[in-house]
Formats: sequence, structure tokens, C-alpha cells
Amino acid sequence: METFNNPKPVLHLLLLPCLLLYSSIAFSSSVEAAMHTNNWAVLVCTSRFWFNYRHMANTLSLYRTVKRLGIPDERIILMLADDMACNTRNKYPAQVFNNENHRLNLYGDNVEVDYRGYEVTVENFLRVLTGRHETAVPRSKRLLSDEGSHILLYMTGHGGDEFLKFQDSEELQSHDLADAVKQMKEKHRFKELLIMVDTCQAATLFNQLQSPGVLAIGSSMKGENSYSHHLDSDVGVSVVDRFTYYTLAFFERLNIYDNASLSSLFSSYNPSWLMSTAYYRKGVYKRSLEEVPVTTFFGSVMETIHTDAAYKALSRRNSGKFEAQTSLDQSVHHSERRTPVKVNDRDETHNINPEGQEGASKCPWSTFCNKFLKAENVDSLVNYGLVAMVPFLMISMWLVR
Amino acid sequence: MAEISEAHDSDSSKLQDSGSEAPQRPESEPDFDPKTMRKTKPGLKRLFLTFSVLFSFLLGFPFLWKSVEIYRSPLPFREIDSLSTQLRSDNLLFPLHFHALFVGFDSEPDGLRRSILSEIAKLASQNPKCSNNYTLSVTVDLDSRCLRSPNLSPHSSTYQCGSITATDFVQNDDVAVDKRLASVFGGKTKEYSVAVVKGGSERAVVGKHRHAWLVVGDGSEVEVAAVKVAELLVKVFINGGREEGSIRNEFMPVGADGKIVLSFNLLNADPRDWVYDWDFEKIDDTLLAPMIEALAPVANISVESQVLYHTPKASFSYWNQKLESYVFSTKDLPFFVNSNEWHLDTSIAAGGRSKILQFAVYVPSAKECPLLLQLPNGEISKTNGFISPMWGGVVVWNPQGCLKDSEFKPSTKNIIPIQDLENMFEVFIGQFRQLFGFKSVNVYAGASGDWNLLPSERGFTEWELDVLSRQHTCFNLHSCATTLGSLSRLVQSLPRMIIMDEIGKQVKFSLEAAKLALSNASSGVYESSAASSSKASSLAEDAFFHPSIMSVSYYSFEHCFAVYSPFFLPVSMHVVLAALRELRRYKQENAKYLAWKAKANAAS
Repeated sequence: METFNNPKPVLHLLLLPCLLLYSSIAFSSSVEAAMHTNNWAVLVCTSRFWFNYRHMANTLSLYRTVKRLGIPDERIILMLADDMACNTRNKYPAQVFNNENHRLNLYGDNVEVDYRGYEVTVENFLRVLTGRHETAVPRSKRLLSDEGSHILLYMTGHGGDEFLKFQDSEELQSHDLADAVKQMKEKHRFKELLIMVDTCQAATLFNQLQSPGVLAIGSSMKGENSYSHHLDSDVGVSVVDRFTYYTLAFFERLNIYDNASLSSLFSSYNPSWLMSTAYYRKGVYKRSLEEVPVTTFFGSVMETIHTDAAYKALSRRNSGKFEAQTSLDQSVHHSERRTPVKVNDRDETHNINPEGQEGASKCPWSTFCNKFLKAENVDSLVNYGLVAMVPFLMISMWLVR
Repeated sequence: MAEISEAHDSDSSKLQDSGSEAPQRPESEPDFDPKTMRKTKPGLKRLFLTFSVLFSFLLGFPFLWKSVEIYRSPLPFREIDSLSTQLRSDNLLFPLHFHALFVGFDSEPDGLRRSILSEIAKLASQNPKCSNNYTLSVTVDLDSRCLRSPNLSPHSSTYQCGSITATDFVQNDDVAVDKRLASVFGGKTKEYSVAVVKGGSERAVVGKHRHAWLVVGDGSEVEVAAVKVAELLVKVFINGGREEGSIRNEFMPVGADGKIVLSFNLLNADPRDWVYDWDFEKIDDTLLAPMIEALAPVANISVESQVLYHTPKASFSYWNQKLESYVFSTKDLPFFVNSNEWHLDTSIAAGGRSKILQFAVYVPSAKECPLLLQLPNGEISKTNGFISPMWGGVVVWNPQGCLKDSEFKPSTKNIIPIQDLENMFEVFIGQFRQLFGFKSVNVYAGASGDWNLLPSERGFTEWELDVLSRQHTCFNLHSCATTLGSLSRLVQSLPRMIIMDEIGKQVKFSLEAAKLALSNASSGVYESSAASSSKASSLAEDAFFHPSIMSVSYYSFEHCFAVYSPFFLPVSMHVVLAALRELRRYKQENAKYLAWKAKANAAS
């Protein structure tokens, strides 16, 4: 493949040691640890349709848990097909349960879905992870993490060997995920990342992860299925998966002030209850799991520093200056900066479907044609050409006769 | 085919004729086997026809290839690598000029200079990324004589001997002294001066511009003063009063596009008790505008404000009888911000890559009023506020009539009094400084003594702005080099990804801005180098985060093959086969002809 695009192989050979050297030095300099500043959660439900109720219930349960433990909505990216609560087959409209006792309505209040319906695509998911959005995408749909963020990435749905199915129409492959994580790490978009996957053969999805600081746990290993927990005969479908059920059971026992460790979470998964083997992969994750509290990923840590004193320069200025200013009501200065905007309640902005799909995914031959045909006079040229072909056809037919 | 058989027929008929005509000459006509011989040279027309078709295909192939080629804007990989190696090896050096003036001391300036330099060398931490290249000149001014060291250095100060005497420092008004010194030292820009004066009440003050003064008693040693001066130079003028010289990202709250949005929020926890409003525009013009202007080289700052209602906090407070107020402790601070109810992040002015800093004034409800913050040592906080790095700050303000609620009519809007608002904004400016890593207190407590830092109306003094500019230049240049390096690695690892012209242009401009920043930095012009470096960094980020670089959407070689092979494979197969067949036939006919010729030659 590379032979076709043959630039300068000698230059490549020269660049390679430079790049290796630079990357090794860059790695060694980035080891100086950044402070853990905030936590983010990206919760993705990759299925739609009524019979996949349990996947949406999984995701909503985890959303509720993570919010309860302190991560605010502005740091949660929730991607759901969101077609359960108002589904015509739902006997309990606007309610989503994760248990047959219907104790908890997951769709009750304060659910902010960032990507819903057909916006949950592999492309949008990878754009969220890598941060490459179109300029018009609002801040609430972006993963605005920084060097000190810990990110929890939870994915549930149908999956298989090294892939995860998105909404029955496309797939996320393990090398795509690994590539996205690698790019995130290069751009320092996270300090630590925990990936939880609840699908069939989940552990194969992170086979290709190599980046440091990434911890991954899947609900089943290669060749195993992940099963649902129980069927709710009232609603008519299974309402929760086993892996997520036991995860939630673990977290229901916690509150904000606890510090249970990750290793206790991971060891709470009993293979006989799950009917599959929950497999976690430490990879290049440096810390020992006993020392890492679950609130590192699942809760909120807001690093706070007390302000010792006010900056007193301004009180020296006499308040007479204020009186003088009141007389000039509108100064030019702040009429520039003042854009009167009505502040409404926060609506959920719908994502304009990114037309990046138009641009780059077509064959360049057709983009070449498109570019060519954009000029209007070429249209008429084509028309003339087509019309001119007709007498040629007639003449050739007459000659051959 | 028809012609050959006709020719054969004609040949054979001719042969038969000749055979029948002249049967008496069997020796002159050798055996002619039409299957393995032919009398005429085979023609080249057929060969020419088929090979011309094949040749035209081959000729068209490069054109097809070129049209199918992925457009990749050429990125200057060599320059990107040279930028990163240059940054790594040269260790971005900022030139700093120090000048120490000793008034009323009887010492040798050379010795003083040496001792100060050795102290500086001991204290200066080696920051791996950016270091400083400093020069020091010492002047000793005694009434009768005035000595400088080094004597003929080009960087020695233009200080006129005798312009500063001990009488200037007699009065205790630091601001006036500062102004006086500014008029003396202010001639040469970008030079940091320290005046050590003997006689008078002991004081150590750092001014608003780029100088400081130390007044020592009559009996003090000059060596002690030298140590203090060295500490000031390193810890305050170079590092800005912060603990380490290393660059920590969490204290650099500037967005990737070089913009910061300051979002000020007034939170009424329970509007049924009381509703407060504020006159934000006044404060914005008088207090915030100078600060924003001062920080223009470092970041492009815009300000927004809003008033919110029904915003309770998420943590609990308890009633303290001794203080007669509700108290929350520093342990509750991480849980104070109730993000479910505080809808702070509703800014529309902020783009995707700007940094938003939230400053919230929390007005507690009647059930929790007055609300005070208690520090771990039991004291009550003077500011009632805290920050969270990279997020912003919160200040709790207790309304006046907390305990006397009979005076308040809850439905009308109350305005926060101007004085309280000013105090609050002073705390906010202190918090803003804290978010940049500076201290909000006006004292630097060093190992060899305290220095009083004079505050400035713009929120940051000139030497603090210098520190910020240097730090940001360093950080931005390194992040620019890293980003461009990542981009070039990414682009080279995906050979079939389209790279648009826009990316190429952004990379080019980013490299130009980085070069400009480097040259400005090495000549000591901090503000413009900070501005260029932030431009370089934001352009590099734009290029790296360009939405067209998505590995899912570039299409692979297999796709191209699958599109074109149904067109070209069948046709090319036929053309090639036809050419080969014609070639083989030509060879066969040629062999036949040669055989006949050989026989004819042998016979004759």
C-alpha cells in the first residue's frame, strides 16, 4: 500500500530515528504527573429498538450512579438511542426501569442526553473521544477534558470478537478504539482512563490498547456471551444485564465519602453469577488497584484551595470614582461587549448532522468531478456535448448500414 | 482468418498448379508444407493494431492514477522537526537583566556581585524546558564615590549616581516611594532593580513596576542584604513568588484558542427568602477592564455575567453557637458546588476550545445565614471563598439582614451594596490570580525574610505580567511543537488520509508565529513573544483538531480497488490477452516463414 504513495523513502528513514528519539524524550518528560483535577464520564449505549431495553437501562443506571456520586452533567457525555421511554410498546410511558420491582425510575428527573437517536454513530463517538468536532458543535457535546482528568468510558450493546455494533448499522472496531485512545493520550486529554464494556466477548474490544494509564474491564472473554439478569414480565423485556447489575449493586452500597478500592470492585464480580468471566486488563496502568479508590473514576473530586486574602489594591481608589462613573450610563466600551441575550432555560441543542461525511468519505474521483462541475457553465457544456452526440450517432449508424 | 485460409488456398492452389504444370521439375521446388511454412513475410498490421490498443491503455494509466490520487496538502515535516529539536536543545532562554544598587554601604561592588551571583546560582532551580539567561550589575553608591561592577558591560544600568539617597525612604508611604523609584529606574525597560538602602526603619517592599527596595538598619551586614537580594531576584522576579519554577498545566487556565471567558454568576440559593441583584456593568468597567487589558498579550479575555435563582449548595453546614452562624469547613469544599442545580455552563460566547472560568457569588438562604467558612486551624476565613484550579472560584456573601429578617420584604429585589461588591471583586481578583498560580496575599514569605508586595490597580504588577508572559511563551511554544509533532506523526502514519489545504496553511502560519515568538523571546520582548506563541499554539491546535482528520472517513485502498476494478479489469484482461495472442501468432508465422526461407536457401 505504501509503495503507491511513494514520497521519499530516504527522508522517512532519516525522520524515523528523530521521531523515535523525540517520542522517547517526550514520554519521559510527560511522566511528571499532572494533578488530578476533574472526572469525566462518557456513557454510550450502542443499541436501539425495543428489545434492547436492557442496554438503555444499563446506561441510564450508570448515569444515575455517577451523578449521585458527584460528577455533574456538564462533565458527562451521554449517548443513547433514547427510544425506550416514549416507545409505543412501553406500558409505562416516560419511565425506564432497571429492576422488575420498578422501585427506581431511571428516566425520572435531570437526565441530560447529549447525543440521542441517530446521532449515536461511530463517527460521533470517535469525534467525542478525539475532540475533532466541527466548529459549530456546542460545548455540552464536547469532551472538554484536560491533562488532569480521569475519564470513565462505559459502553454497552451488542458486540463480538474485536468489534462493537452501533445501532445495527455500523461497527466500532478494536483498532479504531485503540487508535482514538492513542490520539487522546498524545494530546493529553486524560490522565487516567477506565473503560468498562458490557457486551458479548467484551474483552476482545480492548485487545489492541497500548496507551499508558488505561485500565479496561469487560464483562466476558472471547467466546463467551454476556447475559441479561432477569426478565421483567410486566414490561415484557429484560431490563438489565448481569455485569451492570452487579456493578450497580456494588455502588448502591457506597456514598460520596467512601473510598472502596477498584480491586474490591473487580473482585466483586463472581463468574458463576455473571455466567461469564469478567476480565480486566491493566496494561501499562501504573498504580496498584488496591490503592485506587473507585471515586477516582466514579465520583467527583473537586480540588479546592482556600483563598487567603483579597487583593486589596482596589480599595485604595476612592469610591468617588464610582459616583463619577454612574453619570455616564452607557459608555462605548461596554456597549461593544454587551450583547443582549435572552437567557432561557437550557434546551437540549440538536446536533446538526455533520456533513463531514459528504466531504472526505467519497472517492476523490467524484470529488474531482464535483469540483469540476461546480462551475455553472460546465453544466451547459455537458448539455451541449450530449446534444452534439446525437448527430454523430446518426452519421455512424448511416455509415455502418 | 479468412485471408490466411485464402492465402493458404491460393498458395496451395498455386502449388498444385505449379505441381501440375511442371511436374518435371521436382528438384527445384522443395517440399512446401503449408502448415509449417509460409512464403510471404507475415505482416505487422495486426500486431500493430493490438499493441496500439494496449499501448494506449498503458499510456492512460498514469493519468488515471493521478486523478485517483488522494489530495494531501504538503506539510513541512522537516521544519516541524527542526522546531521541536530547536526547542529541546536550545532550552528557550529568556534574557533577564538585574541591577542591584547599594546605597550607603562601603563595599566593593565586584565582591558583592560575585556573592550575589553565587547565591542566585544556588537558588535557581533548573527548569528543563525554559531557563533564564541573567546578567547582573551592581552599583555601590556612597556619598563620595560611586562604583559599578562590571565596569564596561553594555548592560550596566544608566543609573545616575546620587539620585537615590536614604532620605527618600524615610516616609512610610510605599506608593510614593514606588513612584519615586520608578522615575529613577524607569528609563531602561525590562531591567529589574533592587535598591538596598542603609538607614531607616527596616522594610522590604517590591514595587508595582520592576523594582524593589530593601531598607536595613544601620548596623546590618551587607552580606545578609546580598543574600536577601539574591532570594528576591530568583524567587520573586524570576518565579513570580510561586513555589517551583516548573510549568504545571493546572495553573495555566487559558483555552487552546488563547481565549478565556470569565463567567460571573450571582446565585440566590432561595429566592423565597430574598432576591439579590448586582450592578455588574459598573464593576466591569472600573475593576475588570484594566485587568483584562493588562492580560491582553497572555490571553484574550471576555466577560459574562448572570443571576441565577434556586441554587442551593450540595454540602451541609452546621450551626456554631459560639460564632452564632452556620459554619462549613474546608472538608466540605469539594462538595460545595452543586452542579445539578447550578447551571453555570450556559455560555454562548465561548467557543469549543476556549476556557471558561466560573466565578460564583453564593447568597445563602435564610435557613443557613450567615454562612462562614472555617479553616482547619479553627479560624474563620476572611474571604469566605475558595478556588478550584481550572474551574474558577466561589465566594459566599451573607446579606446584611441575616438575623433581622423582619426588615426584609422578600419579593422586592435588593441590590448588593457597592462597598460589598467591591470587596467581593477584590476577592475575585485575588482568586483569579490564584488560578494563575500567584498568591492572593500581598506578602512573599521567603527563607531569609518577608517581602511586601505592592498591589497594582490592574490586578497584576508589571513584573508579574513578565513572569506570566515568560511562562506562557514557554508553555505555548512547547505545546505547539508537541502538537505539530503529533500531527506530523499522525499524517505520516495514515498515507491515504486527505489533508486539506487549510491544515497546511495553519501549520505554516503556526510555524511562522513560533519562529517569531522564539526570536522575540531571545531578545527579551516578552509581551509580543507571548502573543505570538499563543497564536502559534492555537493555530497548531486548530490544525490538529481539524474535523476532517477522522480515521473512519478516509477510505482505504481496498475501496478504491473495488470501485475501479469492475471497469478496468475485464477490458484490460481482454486487451492484454489479445496482444499476447497476436504476438504468439506473429512469432509462429515468422517461424514458418523462416523455415520456408531456410528450405528455399538450402534447396537453391
